[in-house]
Amino acid sequence: MFDNTTVTNTNDDSGDPKIAMHETHRSELHVGNTGTFDVRAVAIAILGWILPGLGHALLKMWGRAVTVCLTVAFLVYLGAGMRGNLFAPGGDDAFARLGYAADLGTGSFYYLARAIEVTGPDVSHADGDYGTRFLATAGVLNLLAALHAYEAARRRKA
Amino acid sequence: MTVLVPLQLSHFQCFLLFALIISLAFGTLGRRQPLERLKYATWSFAMFVVVGIALAWLMYPFSR
Repeated sequence: MFDNTTVTNTNDDSGDPKIAMHETHRSELHVGNTGTFDVRAVAIAILGWILPGLGHALLKMWGRAVTVCLTVAFLVYLGAGMRGNLFAPGGDDAFARLGYAADLGTGSFYYLARAIEVTGPDVSHADGDYGTRFLATAGVLNLLAALHAYEAARRRKA
Repeated sequence: MTVLVPLQLSHFQCFLLFALIISLAFGTLGRRQPLERLKYATWSFAMFVVVGIALAWLMYPFSR
């Protein structure tokens, strides 16, 4: 998280204490800024996970924000409307737990899907089976978007 | 409230819809320029469809 290379210039070979002090002060400032920057990036990623598209919106990437929000919302709407299986916490096997993790990736939309799917899942038809995939894909896609927002906030990706 | 999606989609239609939505999202997230996004989304959609159909035919002999 912190750049260790920034604190290596404190022992200046010139022997001038003013220069050494200046280098030390600059290094501390750099470390402080990096820490703040990381906290901001993590906060953006978490907000982007909770509300799909919000992370990109905070970075003023409006096109991506709208696309992420609409895509995740549409997938959740279709998945729940097709009566896909929306996994609940405390699953019996690894697949149920993984499915819950994927579904939870939609953030607040998970509860929206629960509200939409009042009659419960029906995976006996292709619709319901695809609905399960749509819901899981919405979650994984939102996690991918949150990671992208995190990287963009750290200026590693645009 | 029970039927929020009025369309009764077939397996293939669901597959195409899934490929289209994910391709658009991939294109938007993966590229910066509009033309590049369109090209990447089109390529991604084509790959989804081609690989999906190829896998379906590969699994067909074992389906029954």
